[in-house]
Amino acid sequence: MNKRILIVDDSFYMRTMLKNMLTDAGYEVVGEAANGAQALEMAASTTPDLITLDVILPDNTGLDVLKNLRQIQPAAKVVMCSAVGQEVIVNEAIENGALAYIVKPFSEEKVLEIVGSALQNNDSEQSA
Amino acid sequence: MKTRDQEYRELFMAEALEYYDSMSRHLSELERNPDAVPALNELFRLMHNLKANARAMGFNDLGEVAHHLETLFGLIRDQQRTFSGPLTKVVFAGVDALGNMIRAVGAGQPLPDATALLDNLDRLVRGEEPVLEAEEAPESEEEANKKMELSDLVYIQVKKLDNLLNLVGELVIDRDRIMTLAQELDNPALLATAQHLFRISDDLQYSVMDARLVGVGVLLNKFPRVVRDVASAEHKEVELTLSGQDVQIDRNILQIITDALLHLVRNAVSHGLETTEQRLKAGKPAVGQLTLSALTERDDVLIQVRDDGRGIDTEAVRRKAIDRGLVSASTAATLNEKAVWAFLFEPGFSMAQQVTDISGRGVGLDVVKLALDSLGGQLRVESELGVGTTFTLVLPTSIAVKGALLVEVEERPYAVPLLHTDTVLSLHPGQISVVGGVLVTYFQEQTVPLVPLRLLLYDEGDGPLPLATRDDISGPQQVLVVNYNNRRLGLVVDRFIRQQNIVIKPLSKPLDTIDLFGGVTLLGSGQVCLVLDVPALTRLFLNKRP
Repeated sequence: MNKRILIVDDSFYMRTMLKNMLTDAGYEVVGEAANGAQALEMAASTTPDLITLDVILPDNTGLDVLKNLRQIQPAAKVVMCSAVGQEVIVNEAIENGALAYIVKPFSEEKVLEIVGSALQNNDSEQSA
Repeated sequence: MKTRDQEYRELFMAEALEYYDSMSRHLSELERNPDAVPALNELFRLMHNLKANARAMGFNDLGEVAHHLETLFGLIRDQQRTFSGPLTKVVFAGVDALGNMIRAVGAGQPLPDATALLDNLDRLVRGEEPVLEAEEAPESEEEANKKMELSDLVYIQVKKLDNLLNLVGELVIDRDRIMTLAQELDNPALLATAQHLFRISDDLQYSVMDARLVGVGVLLNKFPRVVRDVASAEHKEVELTLSGQDVQIDRNILQIITDALLHLVRNAVSHGLETTEQRLKAGKPAVGQLTLSALTERDDVLIQVRDDGRGIDTEAVRRKAIDRGLVSASTAATLNEKAVWAFLFEPGFSMAQQVTDISGRGVGLDVVKLALDSLGGQLRVESELGVGTTFTLVLPTSIAVKGALLVEVEERPYAVPLLHTDTVLSLHPGQISVVGGVLVTYFQEQTVPLVPLRLLLYDEGDGPLPLATRDDISGPQQVLVVNYNNRRLGLVVDRFIRQQNIVIKPLSKPLDTIDLFGGVTLLGSGQVCLVLDVPALTRLFLNKRP
């Protein structure tokens, strides 16, 4: 079945762009969260296969959200999303279980490549 | 028509202006309290977002200024710089420059030069003193006013639009009532006002309906991946072609048919299209063609799922229908192919030889039928054995207003949605025969059963209808031919009143369980008029036919 993705980003513009890219590629976008609280709530209610997570969010840093997400939704793969300049946070995120990161501004190709391989990782782990 | 680039641009502008307003607000707070951490965090985040969005749109200078300010706010937050002295001036100038740049983007003008500003921001980041020009003259009031701009884009919840639509529905009913009163009173001034009200509320109704329209593409564009997944699970080669993504339809209608369309598409790949081997053997190209298209026809939107697969095996469906006890073998033999295909949409009816993972888990095409019935839509099937099948969903553009034909039975008006009406006939007794206790007529090379609507509506009990005889017919009969699931039925009525757009209100409890009536509408005369549910009437007739 279609892989289900939750988008977490505080910019409506970014969410729309990501959503269009992902749905055009046939993924199902199960939710869009604009802050950390929404992200946690939606991750629990929609049980996505993958979450794209912005590193800077209004109520929380993406890093705190990531740590909580890893606890409540360990099966969901997380891909960080960030503009340049936040490499420190991104590195810390990878150490905390994020699978990959997408650097803004992103190209459609790049996003699909990263999301695709992160999900691949998901499948191989399950079948192993 | 809005392209995706235009949409992105509008979103970018709307959000950038919002960010700019918030930045100005947080800056004022910071001016009062230079250590306000929440304000610093917000400014940092807003700069970060504006930078990312601007770069994605290709506005690199705008992104660059936002990037420098982001870095600077990061330093202030980490207490490596303080929000004081010359830094404050540069930051204010920076945010002003962002505002000018955003407005330039909105006006489609080239972005103002920011070299001096970037240079100063660079100095501040490095810990050097900025180079400040002489104090500028304070802005004129006119210039200050210019910056008070709001986004011209509003996001709205569908729920709010639903509410608006309901209110317009009520208004239209009152409007019709006033129109009728004005005509009855024959007061020219009142009539002129009523006519003006008529035009305005008509405009209002269409404006509200228009606000709810979305492109069919938002649904169709989800299908390439679905088709790829099903095709690979079924080991088939399928090429999907989409068309008509820009056709506009009510957002809620699109939502309601999502599952139906998903089912038809999966069904087409799993059962409609053959494997590569089978196709080659049949002399067809190896790759199966699947087309999903949307088009408008009069006031309706048509969504078609077309495959060039094996087509419907009418005889196999006929056998299956007899096996399942849906029809007697003798009756089945008389049914034409469209009538046979209608069985495909009976609950639980599946032609799948083996249940696959993707489709045919005992869920038949009846989900499609249910979704369409709930919208007052129609399903058309065309198929040729060995050549392919086309399913066409006929959908109303809007859910608010339906065209209906008003008929009269025993001095009461009833409305029949036009989507289900084929034609009206005035039949002489000679054009009507009696076959097995049922009145029939021949119309377009088809035998159409006739039933007095009075009998369906007023006949008590569950028993079969009384046997019809020639004596029942005296003089010309007014017949409304309705069509449901490719079955035609002629309803004999007393007279036709007129065709009219109606706003259907659901029946309130406990009447809402009577499925013969789809709802109720108010006529201009103030008279209550029941809206007939053609699918339910057809089913009732089939159950009660003698």
